[in-house]
Amino acid sequence: MVDQPLWEQIGSSFVQHYYQLFDSDRSQLGTIYIDESCLTWEGQQFQGKKAIVGKLISLPFPKIVHSITVQDHQPTPDCNILSMVVGQLKVDDDPVMGFHQSFLLKNINDAWVCTNDMFRLAIHNFG
Amino acid sequence: MACEKEIWQKIGESFVQEYYNQFDNTNRTTLGNLYSADACLTWEGSVFPGKEAISGKLASLPFKSIKHIITEQDFQPTIDSSIFIMVFGQLKVDDDPPMAFHQVFMLKSMPPTWVCTNDVFRLGIHNIPS
Repeated sequence: MVDQPLWEQIGSSFVQHYYQLFDSDRSQLGTIYIDESCLTWEGQQFQGKKAIVGKLISLPFPKIVHSITVQDHQPTPDCNILSMVVGQLKVDDDPVMGFHQSFLLKNINDAWVCTNDMFRLAIHNFG
Repeated sequence: MACEKEIWQKIGESFVQEYYNQFDNTNRTTLGNLYSADACLTWEGSVFPGKEAISGKLASLPFKSIKHIITEQDFQPTIDSSIFIMVFGQLKVDDDPPMAFHQVFMLKSMPPTWVCTNDVFRLGIHNIPS
């Protein structure tokens, strides 16, 4: 059995943690962003931890479940980790929808935080 | 209302346009020039490390013709002054039906140009066709 490269271990661990928090208590997501973080949510930009968490908390559904189908992780030249996720999500009683999300992770003071986050539903490919 | 585009958006759009133009309208043998020497490509889950491996993979893709249509693209600057890009669209290979795709790029400044250091491509397996 081949050991996973370190960036894959860190990336997978982050992804698991992120969606666990998202699906259980979005107000906890502040711990993974910093003041310099940037979120693009369905094309809208949110700058900084406060604005990002504000957006995520204000999403108008009480219940969401994410299911990850595939995830890819790469190291970047600046020692960050790029993660791309493809999956499905189910909001309340709505039908299941596909989504795509990409993260850039940075190690700051021995913790991996998310500096860049881009999310889109899988409805944009046939515009 | 027209808004002034941020510089990273302009650079990103320019790269994306050049990338898919070369991809669709050439034999893809010069696509490698858009990447840094140590760039990394993950193509449908397979990893290709380095410009040469990437070039080899892209030039060897087994279709006669391909056309990409970009429907959405998102750009962000990073703390390390790179540009993070996410592209959505559809592609049509030969006579096959169109398929959704999703691609992420990381660009780094290498004056006088910007090169791609990271590239992740996936077909849109959950995507809803119109």
